[in-house]
Amino acid sequence: MRPDDRKYTRTHEWVKIDGDSALVGITDFAVQELCSGNEGDLVYCDLPEPGRALEVGETFGEIESVKAVADLNAPIAGTVLEVNVEIEEHLEVLANDPFGRGWMVKIQPKSKSIDGSDLLDAAAYEKHVATQEH
Amino acid sequence: MALDEAFLRAGEPRPTLRFYTWRPDTLSLGYFQRWADLAGQEQAGAVVRRLTGGGAIHHAAELTFSIAASAAHPLFQGEVRASYERIHDALAAALLPLGVAAARRGERPVASDDPRSAMCFRHSTAVDLVWNGAKGVGSAQRRTGGRVLHHGSIKIGTTPIEGPIATLGARVPDLDPRRLASLLETALAARWGASFRREDPSPAELEHALARASFYSSPAHLRRR
Repeated sequence: MRPDDRKYTRTHEWVKIDGDSALVGITDFAVQELCSGNEGDLVYCDLPEPGRALEVGETFGEIESVKAVADLNAPIAGTVLEVNVEIEEHLEVLANDPFGRGWMVKIQPKSKSIDGSDLLDAAAYEKHVATQEH
Repeated sequence: MALDEAFLRAGEPRPTLRFYTWRPDTLSLGYFQRWADLAGQEQAGAVVRRLTGGGAIHHAAELTFSIAASAAHPLFQGEVRASYERIHDALAAALLPLGVAAARRGERPVASDDPRSAMCFRHSTAVDLVWNGAKGVGSAQRRTGGRVLHHGSIKIGTTPIEGPIATLGARVPDLDPRRLASLLETALAARWGASFRREDPSPAELEHALARASFYSSPAHLRRR
């Protein structure tokens, strides 16, 4: 079971409310899809500049593995406060700790609550992932 | 490139399989490649930066194809690596009638590998298709919003920019790319039940492509990194 202290998107991003801000990252499933367990296959991650305003679903960055480029989509609307610079130098963090040290951006949410959105809780995300696995 | 982007973004429920060749010959950079890491730009007829990742390709004597479909399609479901295996296995079946025994590379590097090169065909992974001890098919993907664009490049001949790689022309002189396209479509349909749309691009897709036509070869995009 993935952490139930956050919400998930159908495109495999997560968002966790952290005080007045929110942390955003991608799930272990997203990482596995890209690199099949070989963390060395992740080659580049492009993240936004702080200050950028994001709408729900907007592409906020891109990640490249040896074989594919994938867009990163914003789970919530808000303004980018901070970017995890550790990722750009150490992409293996995404494979080793996607729900912790592998956070990508910290956002100032536009809305104080993320309830009632299209986001999935952990149980619903597990079901969604089960439909995606081959 | 712009038409492939339109197929990726349009959300057409049936998978789209497109075949094309290039005029003039064109050097394409992978989406994240650095312009300064490349050589040969001035030798190519044109240069573009692709929407898909991976290394650079000199599109001259080759058949290029793109597949755009939902990430839930049996071809693309699950890990990227698995989707490469499915497409490459279909490609290997398509090449058999030409007398070419292509197979996934496996764990051992091949003679065409060159770690100093920025070219796609000079780097191989375990799932890449090889014959005659060299890589002969280049592949790359873009995944966005639950959809996938897969680019494939099958070499009929090589060029000085590409260097020594596996080609179909070495086995089948004067190979018509249209024959190769027909073999590939048949193999993909037989293996994966991929029923591709048959009609021309929709007006909306054409409009999208025309609006983006100059973007992929614009100086700002070419030199974005």
